[in-house]
Amino acid sequence: MKPVITLLRSLLRQTVRNRQGLFWTLFFPVVLMVVFSLLGNTKSQVSLAVVTSRSTSAGVVRIMEKSPLFHVRTMGRRAALAAVRSGRMDAALLVPAAPRARTTTLALRYNPANSLSAQQAVGAVQALVAQADLMLSGRPPLFRVRATPLVHARASTYLDFLLPGVLALMTMQNSLFGIGSGLTRWKEKGILRRFRVTPLQPLQFLGAAIMNYLLVGLASSAIIIGFATGLLHASVDIPLGPVTLVLLLGMGCFLAFGFIVAGVSRSQEATIPIINLISFPMMFLSGVFFPISSLPKILTHIVDYFPLTYVSGALRGLMSGQLTWHDAAFRGDLLGMAVWLVLGGAVAARVWRWE
Amino acid sequence: MSGKALRLEGLTKRYGAVTAVDQLNLNIPPGIIFGLLGPNGAGKTTTLEMTEGLRRPDEGRVWLGEVDLIRHPAEAKRRFGVQLQTSAFFELLTVKETLELFQSLYSHPLRVGDLVGRMDLEEKRNARVDGLSGGQRQRLALAVALVNDPEVVFLDEPSAGLDPQARRNLWEVIVGLKAEGRTVVLTTHYMDEAEMLADRLAIMDHGRVLDEGAPRELIERHLPAAVIEVDRSTGIGTDTNLPALVRIEEREEVMALVTQHLEDTLTGLVAWASQHGRQLTGLKTRSATLEDVFLELTGRSLRE
Ligand SMILES: Nc1ncnc2c1ncn2[C@@H]1O[C@H](COP(=O)(O)OP(=O)(O)OP(=O)(O)O)[C@@H](O)[C@H]1O
Ligand SMILES: [Mg+2]
Repeated sequence: MKPVITLLRSLLRQTVRNRQGLFWTLFFPVVLMVVFSLLGNTKSQVSLAVVTSRSTSAGVVRIMEKSPLFHVRTMGRRAALAAVRSGRMDAALLVPAAPRARTTTLALRYNPANSLSAQQAVGAVQALVAQADLMLSGRPPLFRVRATPLVHARASTYLDFLLPGVLALMTMQNSLFGIGSGLTRWKEKGILRRFRVTPLQPLQFLGAAIMNYLLVGLASSAIIIGFATGLLHASVDIPLGPVTLVLLLGMGCFLAFGFIVAGVSRSQEATIPIINLISFPMMFLSGVFFPISSLPKILTHIVDYFPLTYVSGALRGLMSGQLTWHDAAFRGDLLGMAVWLVLGGAVAARVWRWE
Repeated sequence: MSGKALRLEGLTKRYGAVTAVDQLNLNIPPGIIFGLLGPNGAGKTTTLEMTEGLRRPDEGRVWLGEVDLIRHPAEAKRRFGVQLQTSAFFELLTVKETLELFQSLYSHPLRVGDLVGRMDLEEKRNARVDGLSGGQRQRLALAVALVNDPEVVFLDEPSAGLDPQARRNLWEVIVGLKAEGRTVVLTTHYMDEAEMLADRLAIMDHGRVLDEGAPRELIERHLPAAVIEVDRSTGIGTDTNLPALVRIEEREEVMALVTQHLEDTLTGLVAWASQHGRQLTGLKTRSATLEDVFLELTGRSLRE
């Protein structure tokens, strides 16, 4: 045990002394979050273009205008549709002239390209119209919903959405590049080889190296969370146990991939393109910057099984308060990561070389 | 120190078509300095690294006393101190931290102060490895090799890259290791070093030992007499016939006349010069050195 601890200490020491490495570990996530929190991240209202004709009953429109859910603008039909198409408005509500039949059809046009706000818009309008219907008809409602939030209510911002994604991205990048730049270089220079003429066991070395990466990963995640919540006022839940578990499992998967890459490539230069090949698709598809639901359906069937998808999905669920220990979805994410870890670890053990 | 002999038996290592080490046998008595001498690619490093347990031989055995080290590699790791031909250490650690790291791997390590003192690294104790000069790194590598108070120390070209003063200091350290009862096995490209340090020498090429013995012994066996050197401008050719001559070699600046009987050849040479009207510029006589033996055995210069 003593060699492992001494080795771990000296690896950690080196991480702290590697100023440049530390800078790049934290720089990218910080910049990302600052930029997105500056770019208006208080979008919680649905912007709704309302198209009326002269004889429209003003009741519906007034109810819409009073609702805090909507930002209502009355526009002409053509302007409204153009605004939805271009994404300036989330949806257009076409209110017909004075009702002829018993049921008036309100046409809602939305742009499915932006699925998050489209879903939000359709749902909100349907709910509100149902409510308006009751109020305008003057009948007492048969049912009434009193909504009590389970988690404390908050207006969710893009930063809140982004933070778990950034943490997921960091577990991937730090693990892959940590091995790619550290372990591969040590291997290439013959530093690891020197330990083979000492009584140090290979597993002791690997244990210390893995613990080093895990500790550094947890510490940098803590710094990023502290930065996002303290300085940028992100409002997220941090259930410590589950979040730590997800981070550790996620890092475990990507460390295994890192060991595989380091095992198969001869030089440090050769690892970088391989690492990019692995990390780029996941960085953009696995729900780091935008939800997976906005991808084409066929693609999601594949992306759903990416390791980073499990990490970002689990972290986002935990941090938005939608997932807990007990949810099947959360357990599914954990299982997904565990499978990747076992597979990756098995392959890594086969291909890893000391020199 | 225990005083166990190190024995290599039929060690063989092949890399594809190249046989790097070919059925090599060596018997290294305890407590001596043993030198391996050979041109680039002779198989010195491969031999050492198979003995240390770093490379698996295709054939052969390594014994330390009665212990089969190929079967019991842990014994080798415990008792051997190793300086690799190209050794590198974590760049962001200091000298002291590096030594402490290696100390933690052994049960009875030597003290850092002792190691640093021996290797003249006191000033650099708290300097980072990435700030050390080539020679200082070399000395750190030797200090690390001594961390476990080893019975046998392997030094693969320990003086490569050292300035003359540092080489001289290194020689003292190596002689000191022997005085403490350790066995030292080293490779070198420097003849003077081999002649100075080694109690026994093996000259190898193409993975085989060409001859083995004490330096003086080797010289006497192969070149009983002496060497006459004259400048090339003398115009003497390699095919010139002189009494008692073994052969004539072209060296960098001079022609070297290897002889079995100095007086006879010298008389002949003087007669040849006056007959052909030549000046014997740069005429010098000396006894044969290891370098002459080396050329005789391998047919090539040590530093090509
Ligand atoms: N890992 C390897 N793969 C392929 N060939 C190798 C390998 N290691 C050594 N060789 C070959 O084996 C031969 C002996 O190499 P070795 O390094 O033992 O020589 P050496 O005597 O130490 O030379 P030098 O004086 O240059 O250090 C060389 O021809 C070398 O090319
Ligand atoms: Mg060598």
